[in-house]
Amino acid sequence: MHIPDGILPAPVCVAGYAIAGGMTWVALKQIKKTSDSQVEVPKAALMAAAFFVGSSLSLPVPPVSVHLVLNGLLGIVLGWYAWPAILIGLLLQAILLGHGGVTTLGVDAVMMGIPALLAGQLFQLRHYLGKSLPPKVSLGLFSFVAGAFGVGLSALVFFALVIFAIPSTLEQSTEKSFLTALMLGHIPLIFLEGVFAVLLCFFLLRVKPELLER
Amino acid sequence: MKGFGSALRSGLQHLGIVAIAMGSLPGVAIAHGAHIQARTATAMEIQATYDSGEPLAEATVQVFAPDDPQTPVYTGLTDADGKFVFVPTAPGNWEVSVRQAGHGDIAVVPVESEGAIASTFTNDAGLSLLQRGIVAGAVTWGCVGTALFFGRRGKQ
Repeated sequence: MHIPDGILPAPVCVAGYAIAGGMTWVALKQIKKTSDSQVEVPKAALMAAAFFVGSSLSLPVPPVSVHLVLNGLLGIVLGWYAWPAILIGLLLQAILLGHGGVTTLGVDAVMMGIPALLAGQLFQLRHYLGKSLPPKVSLGLFSFVAGAFGVGLSALVFFALVIFAIPSTLEQSTEKSFLTALMLGHIPLIFLEGVFAVLLCFFLLRVKPELLER
Repeated sequence: MKGFGSALRSGLQHLGIVAIAMGSLPGVAIAHGAHIQARTATAMEIQATYDSGEPLAEATVQVFAPDDPQTPVYTGLTDADGKFVFVPTAPGNWEVSVRQAGHGDIAVVPVESEGAIASTFTNDAGLSLLQRGIVAGAVTWGCVGTALFFGRRGKQ
């Protein structure tokens, strides 16, 4: 899902950095607003580690191979803290593992960070929309939808960006057929990440339910 | 005998005229001809793989000459092993781009005047599985350490 260097034209990379810069400012401002901003740091550090390691584990979904993204899960557990956690995770992935690139760091941050923040908001909707449901059902439903939504939206942004940036010198049909295969490969991943989010939320509900409340 | 000799001569003369006429006709008449010339040239083979070592098969390759980074000189697809062969025709930095479905890489290969890769060029093959494991472990420990540090400060 990471876009490496050299795939996107320069204006797109610059726009990615501009949006990521603005989002970082907004996220840090929102974090500063909280009464004790350091309380959430341990949680954010652990989730950043999970995000970093998640991308190293590739899951073979024939004919392609995809990897965990976990951005929806970060949004659910961290809220606004998900943005800096993802940004740091992506920077380390690009520098240390060669996943993604330095020029595309902004684009990658926007592609994974904004869906994470939206997934966090979606999870909070359970307080309004899930009121009529039993608490456990509401938690399970909204964590699944938010976990799946995060990676699903990121995948859509990825495909839109790559299709938009196919150079005219390339054979369009070959590139598009491989993109279609990769897109289909992400469908099981969307379900998998939804299930993963449900399992983690139920685990937190049992051991430390206050971690789910923001 | 004399009669036969003159008939033979005139026949040969006719044949000669026909042969000259055919030879002097424009290229259309001899367009069926094809020529293959052979010469030795130094080719370069590249191989594209994923981090896992799996080959990047049927990926689009574009090769750019040192003097024009906009228009590819060679384009094509990698084979099942992720390999592609091309001939760098001039010394300088040749750019090779391999991409498939939003994945890929760009390599700049310095070519010397004899068509050989410059001795200073190092082929970065990425990290091995063990190195990746160590990096992932170090980052995870860094994050756990951060969590413990801030966790302790919170309790005080």
